Formats: sequence, C-alpha cells, structure tokens
Amino acid sequence: MIRVIRETHETPPFVQRRIARAGGLNRFGEPNFRVVWGGSRLGWIGGRWTDRDANGSTIRKKIELRQVPKYLPLDRWHIERWFPPESYGSPDIWHAQTIETEDGIRIPALGPYPSRGEYEHCFTLQDAKGNFVPLTPEACEWIVRAIDWARRQPNSARRAAIYAREARRECERDHAADCILDSASPTPAMA
Amino acid sequence: MAQMQNAQSVALQLEKVRDKLPLLYERDDILLTMIQQRGDVERVSSRNMRLPLQIRPGGKAGLANMDGGDLGRGSGTVYDVAQVTPVFFRHAVEITKLVEYASNAPEKAIENAAKREVKNAMAQFRSFLDKVIQTNGNGVLGTISSIASNTFTMAKPPGSVLVYYNQTIQVYDPTLTTNRGSCNVTAVDPFGSTISVDSVPAGTSPNDVIVHDGLSGAQPVSLFGILYHQSNATTGTWLNLNRATYPVELATPRVNGNNSALTPGAVRLAINKVRKSLGSNQVSKLIAYTSLEQEHQWEQLGVTISQIIKEGAGGRASDLDLLFTGEKSMAGVPIKSSINANQSRVDFLDLSHWGRAVMQDIDFYDVGGQTVFPIYGASGGLASAYIFYFVTGFQVWNESPRSGAYIDNLAIPSGY
Repeated sequence: MIRVIRETHETPPFVQRRIARAGGLNRFGEPNFRVVWGGSRLGWIGGRWTDRDANGSTIRKKIELRQVPKYLPLDRWHIERWFPPESYGSPDIWHAQTIETEDGIRIPALGPYPSRGEYEHCFTLQDAKGNFVPLTPEACEWIVRAIDWARRQPNSARRAAIYAREARRECERDHAADCILDSASPTPAMA
Repeated sequence: MAQMQNAQSVALQLEKVRDKLPLLYERDDILLTMIQQRGDVERVSSRNMRLPLQIRPGGKAGLANMDGGDLGRGSGTVYDVAQVTPVFFRHAVEITKLVEYASNAPEKAIENAAKREVKNAMAQFRSFLDKVIQTNGNGVLGTISSIASNTFTMAKPPGSVLVYYNQTIQVYDPTLTTNRGSCNVTAVDPFGSTISVDSVPAGTSPNDVIVHDGLSGAQPVSLFGILYHQSNATTGTWLNLNRATYPVELATPRVNGNNSALTPGAVRLAINKVRKSLGSNQVSKLIAYTSLEQEHQWEQLGVTISQIIKEGAGGRASDLDLLFTGEKSMAGVPIKSSINANQSRVDFLDLSHWGRAVMQDIDFYDVGGQTVFPIYGASGGLASAYIFYFVTGFQVWNESPRSGAYIDNLAIPSGY
C-alpha cells in the first residue's frame, strides 16, 4: 500500500516573480517576500520529541534535530517575509537563547544560526472559516503590498488602529446586548 | 387595593430578561467565555469535581532474548486525579429612584432603567471575571510599587488594568497572609498605572498586593486563571496535585523573553515546544492570547496584516475583500488579544483542553422567587433604592498543561 506522507508543491515561478516585484529584493538578491506550500516548507526543530501513534499514545521519546514542516496547516499556501540575520542577534545570542539541554545533551532548538537571514510567516491563504484559498498572484501581491505599506506607517497610527478596533468592538457588544434585551422586553417605542 | 411597588415592577422586568442572561454572558469575545462549559462534564455539586489524568506512560519495552532470556518485569501507567471546586461570584446592582426618575418617558421608565442596568451590569460583571481570569488563582489584581497619599502606583505588569472604578478592593501583605483591610477605588489610570482609593488601609506598604472583594483569610483562592494554569513552577499545588510530584508533566513550556522585544524566534521556540511535546502537527487548535501591547509589537515586525489596514473603511474592510477576513496570526497561530491580558506575555493556549466546572449558571440571585430586594436607610425605614444580584459559581480547569506554552518577561513597547 502506498501512503502519502506529505503533499508537497513548488510555487509557480510567475507567482514568485510577481511577489518579488511587489516586495523587492534583499541584500542577497533574493526576494523579500515569497510564497511557500505548507507541506514543502521545512524548518529545524531540535529537542526532546515525543512521537505518538494515531490514538495519541506515546511510541517513543527521542532527543534530536529534525526538519519538519515549519507552518501549519500543511495544505495551505503561506506568505513569508525575509528577516536579516542581525534581527536574530549575534550567533552567540542566538545560541544562548535557543540551545536546550535534554539529558545533558545540548541541542539547538531552532537549528543553526540563520547567517543569511530567514523567512518568517506572514499570512496564510485561507478564508475566514479556514478553508483553502487557491494561489493567485493578484491576492499575493495585494497582501505583500499591504504588509509592506503598513510596516512603513508610524507606530502611533498602528496603535490608534488597534484602539479603534477595541472601541468598535465595544460598540458592537453594546448593540448586541440591546438587541438581546429588546427581544425580551419590547417597548411601546419599538412596536 | 395595595399600590404596586416599584420594586415589583422591576422584578417583572428582570423576569422578562431572565432567559436572555446566558446570551448576554456567554458571548465568546472574552477569554472566560472562549473556555466552554464542557458537555461531557457533569454539573458539579459542592463536592470536588474530579479530573482523572493519565500522567505518565507505563510498560517496559526493550530487546528480548527468546532463547531462554529473562523478559524482565513491567510497569503500569501512572494516573492521578486533579480536583476542582467551584467558587462563587456575585455582582450587586443597586438602582436608586433618581435613576428611574431620570427617564423622560414615564410609561417606559421602569423598564428602561431595569434594562439599562442589566445591560451595563452584565458588561461590568463579564469584564470583572475576565480580569480575574488573567490572574494566578489567588485573586491578586496587582502589586503596589509605591504610595503617595491615597494613590497607589502599581507595578507593571499588570499595572492597574485589572482594577475598575468604584471597585471594592482589599490590600494584603506580599505573602498573602495579612489582610490589611478594604477600600474603594475612586480613580484608575491604566496608562499611568495608578489607582486612587477612598482610604488607605492601615499598614499598607509598597510590595503589598491588592485582591478583589469577597476573599478572606490567608492564601485566598479565587478563579484559576492563565497564570495559574500556564506555569512552569515545580513547587506549590495545581488542582490539588503537588507540582513537585510531577515537575515535568504539570509544567507548561516556557520561553523567557529576557526583557527583550517579541521576535519571531521566540514565538517559534514556544510553538515548537508544544509540537515536540504533542507531535509536530498537533498545534492546529492553538491560539496566541496576548495583550494589545504585544499585538502592536508583533505588527511592528511587519509580519502580519496590520490593524491599520483592517480598520480601513471604518473597520468594515472585511466586507470589501475576502482576504481581509483572515485573522492576524503569529507564525500561523491566530492572535486573540485582550485589553486585560498580561502586557509582557504571549500565551499559546489549546482551549480544547480547558473547561469550566459549573455549579451555578449565571442568573439573578433568587430567594423564594424574589429577585429584587429593598434597601433600608439608617433609620430602619426604606431607602429610595433597590438591589438585585447576578450570581454564578464555577471554576476553570485545564486537563493538559503541556498542551500550551508561553513567553513571559517580554519588553512592553513604548507608548503604553
């Protein structure tokens, strides 16, 4: 019996090109943004692994460095942004922060220092209910431009937007409470 | 024929809205109500609710010599029982005749006053419970760092965000042994992290803590909140289990933020700890529960669709484009932020392992069918006011502390 372990996909070149145009290139001539398939994008995770069977029972525990899919869900397209190596601190800081010791074994929890920087998750292409959304260059370009534009806005504007959302939610909660109570006790004015 | 008393009218109005109280209460926009009342759990009595936990695996596996070799002895799974006892909370609502008279439509006055107070009080009660669920099970809402006259400057986190105006609070010594007395909050400044009180209890000193009303005695017990369940402590108790007995199994994986700003690396470290513990693909139910401050910090990194985009078109951007409806995420984990959350933490929670043991659902306090009670004046006569209460009795539990993770000691971004 053939068992599919993990579905993998390569990102179509025309999508990558369009995103590279929208987001620009980094100091290594690589795109600042890229799209990856969840099942294809692997990352290092080191430490004590607990492997379980389908019922959740422990099969084994092992201390090792593994390459596993970096993002979940596996069956979605994800947009990533490049971070320069200095944003992870120096190699010494990286090791100080990420080395874990298990049974006396020192193991890098996030793998080796990202000396050429690293791509980090920005956005998962799925709808509000978490359903699959197909890969389209227009959507990807829009998201890249939106993230890039928002990043260049002043901190105060971003903070104000968060507070505006909270105020709006408060109004929505108040309105919802009114609706609930009005339905319980209609007043002559509502009739 | 006896005149109908005002309180009777209010009682009728309260009765009308009574079956709507759960709808007002159970909106899943705060952490408390995101934690579901589990259908598979019996409603609890005043006895402890017991949560059997399979804590350690059993059996001894190994190579065997089938040519007469010794197969060795075995072992069994280690089980233990966590226990939860509900605690009761009340919210008292007092309406004066002046409130009633303030209505400009006499035929609707009583109904409007009652409805308005039910709505406002429920919002306040929910807010109070949401604040308490941020704490570590002892009702501590903050720590006094300095005192100037009647004003306390509170240590941050959490500062003064867990306190609200006109709340009755109590001051305890730092070891939660001595109750110095209670006072009422007369002002709250969440940005300045200060609260003012009507009278400072005798003996109040810096490093004392404030707790909510109703607690008494040494080491008071309140709602078991985030800081209680999401902890890597190896001493003390957790749901009646001794943490020292199961120092690994009961500890939630932690990443120390070291007073630095939130980074993608720290987030990945925390999520990966859950993946290593539960299996690499078992994090689909996680949420990243955090404060507005850390949400803002995450936005500053430029790795998410910013709220500034989402708030376009008056916050209705989601109506314009399907892509706007995607939730903000941290490394793919949806962000749920709260104004009450600890400002220096990000908690990764799998709420499918959390539940509420409920003894009493939200309701009006009821004595023989009476829900509205008169207030008496100092003379013994009636006061021109009446009172009713919301009551609920429950406790929060978590059957799998290792299914979450947290980052603490994060720097709080400037401007907050």
